[in-house]
Amino acid sequence: MLKAAYRIAWKDVAGDLRRRATLSSMLFFAISVLVVFQAAFEPDRKEAVRLLPGLLWATTLFTTLVGLGRVFQAEEEDGAFEGLLLASVPRGVIFFGKWLGNLLLTLLVELLILPLTMVLFNVDAWTQVPAILGILGLGTLGLTGLGTLLAAMTRGARSRETLLALLLLPLTAPLLISGVQAVAGVLQPDGVVAPWLKLLIIFDLVYLAMTPWAFGWLVEE
Amino acid sequence: MNILKKIQLPLGLLTLISLAVGAWYVYQAPADFQQGGAVRILYVHVPSAKMALLSYLFLTVASVLYLWKRWEGADIVAEAATAVGAAFTALTLASGAIWGKPMWGTWWAWDARLTSMLVLLIIYKGLMVLRHSLDDPVKGARATAILAIIGGVDLPIIHYSVVWWRTLHQPPSLTAAENSSVHISGPLLPPLLILSGAFILLGLYMVTVKARQIEARRRLDALEAARMHPDE
Repeated sequence: MLKAAYRIAWKDVAGDLRRRATLSSMLFFAISVLVVFQAAFEPDRKEAVRLLPGLLWATTLFTTLVGLGRVFQAEEEDGAFEGLLLASVPRGVIFFGKWLGNLLLTLLVELLILPLTMVLFNVDAWTQVPAILGILGLGTLGLTGLGTLLAAMTRGARSRETLLALLLLPLTAPLLISGVQAVAGVLQPDGVVAPWLKLLIIFDLVYLAMTPWAFGWLVEE
Repeated sequence: MNILKKIQLPLGLLTLISLAVGAWYVYQAPADFQQGGAVRILYVHVPSAKMALLSYLFLTVASVLYLWKRWEGADIVAEAATAVGAAFTALTLASGAIWGKPMWGTWWAWDARLTSMLVLLIIYKGLMVLRHSLDDPVKGARATAILAIIGGVDLPIIHYSVVWWRTLHQPPSLTAAENSSVHISGPLLPPLLILSGAFILLGLYMVTVKARQIEARRRLDALEAARMHPDE
């Protein structure tokens, strides 16, 4: 079962690593978002520390949207999506596979964005990098889970990228709030992190439980 | 859907009467000693806020029924409830802003309940857009129903996350303890209760009208499709 999910994920990740299509467009999109933030706010060193959590999460959220727009791209042509559904594994497993693939790509991009952001905005918090990455990863779990479901939902829709943003952004409000607060808590010496981590985990668990089931309903003929 | 046709007129009349009675009570109610006449805005604000959430509950139930039983009627009611809920949410935000300007000194504050309401409005909008951007109406209906249920599970999480995040809005006045400063009592209470009831009727009436309209629209679409492809 898990092997099937792993195979689907690996097909997407390996395919993308060879073509570097999604990965490089996500990365360069993230860089341009950072340039926009720099031009818009021109933070000095002190402000940059305060803005960093929000910057990181806003960039992650927008960049995820780019990746999600392409989750089902490999299955667009020649009825490949229907072919995938014909695989003799539960639909939930297929969903986990697509989710895992998107999760790995997004985590890879985050791994590159975090040091880049800290360099570009002159934030000296290198000792906190593992903690921040952990929080980002925890949030990305739920974010890509919900996102993959919404990507499946908007497959074949008109102006799907706009639709995806419209649907994903309000639903991920708890994630954004708790993610930003948790990273801010890590950056401050007397910051509060635990309750926000709890909220992130609740969000992840809810979507981990709900989305495979919802995907089954969605693709049922 | 015949039942909708039957109940529309009596329901409409009942709504009209209860709204009129409520309006009369609001007119008779004394001005608040701190808020003055502006307190009357709350007789619209509070019931419409209740309806904004109640419509979502209604929408979730209709969506579950549609996915489970495949009744097209449930889908039509869900679509109608989405439009009605969005209208009440917008009314809540607008009346709240008008009340907030003299009372809080600002149209808007990023307070927990205001933020949740704004997010709710975007979710309603998303549901409307999703339904119409898929070419196959059955796929659109199913995707919308699933999204509605996900939103229904997400809304409490959104609410609690913003409550933790910031809180300025006063606690609910109806259930507040009697000695609390925001407790509502005496002559201010009857109009609020009557109007809450009237707004529930109004919401049901709006859903009825909207559902009949949607049903007619779908029948027209089906006729049009049959005319364009007579051999299918």
